[in-house]
Amino acid sequence: MSERPSLWWIDWRLSHGPLVRETIGRFLFFFLLGAALLSLLLSGGVSRFLAERYAVTAVLRAEVPSAEAEGLARKVASLPAVRSAAYRDAEAAWKEFLRAYPDPDPLRGPGGNPMPGYIEIRIRPDRFTGEDIDPVVSALRSVPLVERVLAGEEWLPRLLRAGRIASWACWGIFGAFVAGFFLVARLQERARAVASAVDFAFLAERGVSTGRLAFFRAAAAAVSGFLLAAAGTAAGGGALFLSLRKFPFLERVIGPPSDLLLPRTVAGALLFSCGAALLSAAVSLIGWRAARSGRK
Amino acid sequence: MIEGFRLGVFSRGTTLWDGLDFAFGDAAAWLVAGPPSSGKTLLLSILRGERRPDAGDVLVSGESLYRGNAAHARAWRASCGYVPEQTIVDARLTVEDLFRRSALAGGGVRERERKDRADRLLGMVGLPGALGWKIAELSISERARACLAAELLRGPKILFCDGVVAGAGIPCREMLWGLFRALAREGNTVVLAERTIPERWALAAGDAEPVGPFRVYRLPVPGAAVKGEPG
Repeated sequence: MSERPSLWWIDWRLSHGPLVRETIGRFLFFFLLGAALLSLLLSGGVSRFLAERYAVTAVLRAEVPSAEAEGLARKVASLPAVRSAAYRDAEAAWKEFLRAYPDPDPLRGPGGNPMPGYIEIRIRPDRFTGEDIDPVVSALRSVPLVERVLAGEEWLPRLLRAGRIASWACWGIFGAFVAGFFLVARLQERARAVASAVDFAFLAERGVSTGRLAFFRAAAAAVSGFLLAAAGTAAGGGALFLSLRKFPFLERVIGPPSDLLLPRTVAGALLFSCGAALLSAAVSLIGWRAARSGRK
Repeated sequence: MIEGFRLGVFSRGTTLWDGLDFAFGDAAAWLVAGPPSSGKTLLLSILRGERRPDAGDVLVSGESLYRGNAAHARAWRASCGYVPEQTIVDARLTVEDLFRRSALAGGGVRERERKDRADRLLGMVGLPGALGWKIAELSISERARACLAAELLRGPKILFCDGVVAGAGIPCREMLWGLFRALAREGNTVVLAERTIPERWALAAGDAEPVGPFRVYRLPVPGAAVKGEPG
C-alpha cells in the first residue's frame, strides 16, 4: 500500500448513506433552482412581460407612400434596442380600429378612412430601459415622415421603475433560496463532519495530513457541487423547454424555448454551477472546522 | 530504532515522569509494563509522534519526531499501527468499517482484496466471520482482537498496542504471543504497553530493564537466542 492514501471522495467512503441522501436532495433543489434561474435569465425578471405589452407607435403623415413607410420600418428595426418594427398602412389601421370599436360611423368622414398608417415598434426585453427607449423615440421624432410618436412618456418612467423593483424582487427571492441552500447544506455538512470526526482523528493519528484531508474534502465537495448544479440546471432547463413548448402562453412571460440555448443563457447556467461549487467547498470547510472543534 | 531521550511528562499539575531514556530496536517485540496511571498510554502517544513530550525528544532512525521535518513525523505515523485501549466512540461501527477505515489510512486497497485479507486476519485472531458484526455487540476481548486485525491489514512496520494483551484475555495469550513474535521475525517492531506481563512471557523474556515507573521487556523472537519458551 502507498503511504499517501488517496483522499478524493473520502466522504463517500466514510459516510456513504447520508451522502447519497444529501446528493438526491441537492439535485432536486438544483433542479428547481436551475429552472427558476433560467426563467429569470430568459424573462429578465418582468422585463419580457412588460416589453411584450409595450409598443412605440409612430403615426405617419397621410401622404407617406407605402414603400417609404416600409423602408422607414426596416431602418427602425435595425436599431439595437428594437425587437420588431411593423408598418400598418391606413387600411390595416382602419380594420384594426373596426375590430376594437365596432360602431365607428360618426368618425368616418366624407373622404372614407380617417386613419393614418403607422409603424408599431416593439422593444427587446433585455433593452427595456429608459436609456434604450429614448433614443428610439428621439430618432423617430426627427423623421419628417412621422407626424406623431406615441411612447407613453407620461407613465413610462413609473412603469420602468415598477418593473425594476419587480425584477429585483424576483432575483431577491432567488437569492433567498440560494442562501437557504447554503444554510441547509452547512447544517448537513456540519452534522456529517461531526459524525465522521472519529474517522478523521483515526486517519490523522495514522499520518494523514489534516490539511490534505480538509483540502480534498472541499475539492470533492466543489466538484460534486458543480456537477450536481450543472445536472440539476440542465434537467430544470429541459423541463422548462417542454413547458414552454406545451404552454405557448408562457413564452410571453418567460421567452421562447430556443433562447435556452443562447450563449448568454448557457454562460449564466455555468456561472451558477461555479457558484454552487464554491458554496459547496465553503460549507465543506465550515463543516471541517466543526468536526475539528468537536473532536477537541 | 525508536529512541526516547530524557523524556518527561507533566500532567495534572505534577511531574508524571522525567528524564526517562528508551531504546526500542527494530525487528523486535517489546513490552512496557507499568502500574495504572503511570502514563503508558501517554508514552505510546509520545513514541508515535502524537503528543509532544514536555521534556526530552524522540528520535526515529536518528531524526527527531518533534524538532525535525513535519513530513518525517507524518511518514512515521503513517508507518505505525496503533491499537488503543477500547473506547466507546467506535461502537457505532461494524468490524468491516474498522477494516475499511484502516485500508483508507493505508492508501486504499481493492474491496475484494480487503475482504479476503480481513477474513484471513479475523480468522487468525479467533474471530472468523465477524466482518458484519457490530462493535457495540462485541466483548472487550473481541473488540481488542478486531482492532488488532484491522491495524494489521495495512501491514504496519511498527505496531503499538495499548492494553491489548490484557484486553484480549487469558485464552488469547498464546495466539498473541505467537503473533507478535512472528511479526518481529518478519522485520516489524511491536511495542506493547500493559499493566503486567503474563508470567510465562516474563519467564521467556528474562530480566526487564527498569525505566522510571516502567519495566521494559524484550520478547524473544523465534530464530533468535532465547532464555526460555512459554510452555
